[in-house]
Amino acid sequence: MSAVAEQTTIGETVESSSPGRRQAREEHPVPLLFRVITVLTFAYLLTPAVIVVLAGLNSGEYLRFPPEGLSLKWVWDFFESPVFLPAYLFSLKLAFVTMVIATVIGTMAAIFITRVAFVGRGLVRAFFLAPLMLPGLVLGLALYTYYLNLPLGLSRTFWGMMLGHILVTTPFVIGTVSAALYGFDRSLEDAARSLGAGSLRAFFTVTLPSIKAGITAGSLFAFIVSFGQFDLSLLLSTPNQTPLPIAMYISLRYQFEPTAAAAGMFAIALVVVSMVLTAKLGALSRIGGIKFS
Amino acid sequence: MAVTRAEPIGQIGQHKPKWGVPASLRMVLLVLPSAAMFFIFFIVPVMLLFAIAFNPSQSGVVKFEPEFSLETFRRFFDRPLYYEALIRSIVLGITTAAVALLFAYPLAYFVAKESRPGRINLYMILILVSLQLDLIIRMYGMMVLLGDTGLINQALMRYGIISDPLPLMYNTFGVVVGLVQLTLPFMILSLIGIIQAINPALEEAARSLGAGRWRTFFTVTLPLSMPGVLAGSLLVFAIAIGSYAVPVLMGGWRVIVTPMHIYQQIAEMGYWQFGAAISCMLFGVSLIAVFIYHRYTQKLIGGLV
Repeated sequence: MSAVAEQTTIGETVESSSPGRRQAREEHPVPLLFRVITVLTFAYLLTPAVIVVLAGLNSGEYLRFPPEGLSLKWVWDFFESPVFLPAYLFSLKLAFVTMVIATVIGTMAAIFITRVAFVGRGLVRAFFLAPLMLPGLVLGLALYTYYLNLPLGLSRTFWGMMLGHILVTTPFVIGTVSAALYGFDRSLEDAARSLGAGSLRAFFTVTLPSIKAGITAGSLFAFIVSFGQFDLSLLLSTPNQTPLPIAMYISLRYQFEPTAAAAGMFAIALVVVSMVLTAKLGALSRIGGIKFS
Repeated sequence: MAVTRAEPIGQIGQHKPKWGVPASLRMVLLVLPSAAMFFIFFIVPVMLLFAIAFNPSQSGVVKFEPEFSLETFRRFFDRPLYYEALIRSIVLGITTAAVALLFAYPLAYFVAKESRPGRINLYMILILVSLQLDLIIRMYGMMVLLGDTGLINQALMRYGIISDPLPLMYNTFGVVVGLVQLTLPFMILSLIGIIQAINPALEEAARSLGAGRWRTFFTVTLPLSMPGVLAGSLLVFAIAIGSYAVPVLMGGWRVIVTPMHIYQQIAEMGYWQFGAAISCMLFGVSLIAVFIYHRYTQKLIGGLV
């Protein structure tokens, strides 16, 4: 709850502080037109989330202009909902298992990619990025078809869906951890080795602690990507295994349920908390290996 | 694969091998779980799907059969329903990329010119939160805003500006608004780094030689940021043409795009071969976009890795 409140205040800070403050003496480094569009774009980016929070805290059935009173009615409704609460918990479970596996195999792959020089390294990277290049619906369809052709009994199971989620989250872990490893001074590890530590011991006592922030950021990213995954889950989920985005989608096709907005509020809180944590770790610039200085 | 040619850098080999295997081989063990998993659950399934697209069409049959036929593709190009949807998807993708660029560039420029680290962090949190937020939640917000009885129409009608609700949703306009909402963060992130990397001395030189701020922007800054513009546009295009949920929710089944046909063929009709063939066509278009993207920039998706 506090995270949601925090997010709203952040939004207000931006809008009030960006345009036309210090025009008097020197020229602002950003032209006025650009500053105006910046405010509009931030509004465009964040308004939907603000509306979902308002709809979840609204006292009426439907959001009106001007808004009616606030109430926690829909929040309590969410806690008792036979649809959205199980979906939320299912998404948490799925995202957690996905995160753990993606973090382990992604970190291992990142060490290999950054530490071992070999011909075709670029190719291996492209290989690990490939699942992100396919539209999620097509990837989901490919897995669905594959499971039906295989006698492994993976179709319409938790594990089948989880495997798909691992495919689309591991690339982010690899990207984030690789960025951290490139930034790590290898001579520190060499020093440990020359003082007699074995390669594994040097890795676990010197390297791992210093790339911990990168790994945490990568796993948070993986968690959120899995939690909000829609396209991939669409063909892989079943009526008793419904992640939150699918449950919300099904309800949204027919009506605006305020209970869905309340569930959405808790999902927004999760994303905001994870991003603030990532910022605290100083790993914001490494998210998924996205480069900005 | 190239993996077998691995050589250690540094002096890993000098230390006594713990498990009696060479160090380079032990390093390969690190990549093995992910590589095996990606091979078994990504490469093979995608190849199987594309192989099924070349099977003769049979309703309700999922299993791959060793029979070759171009029937499904012929059907795709024979029926205007299907190829028109693909053309519509491509037009929507291009429109989305253009609109997203107009909104994203000024914001990226603004963040790139900011020097206070605290502010940059704040802006990045806002951009990343909007990137990571589940798209269905965002569409819920957009629908409450844009619907016939939505907030915008309620406000405009209350103040007597309009008497009938504006058609802001369940049409092409609504779909573009939704797709831009979905893809804006990707465009912004593709642009920030590249604008930051432009040497400010170049802009200052243009200014000191008498160019106005807009002339400097159009002759120096914008051309130098073209790799980011192109990368972002193609990334946005690829995401937009693959989106299923946004056209369904914002278009209300009135704007039919290719991903809807894929879902319909599979989930409603059971024509797996035809669904697979349409997927091939959609993937082909994304692949062309990615190919153009690679020709113009060395970076992979959004500068990833």
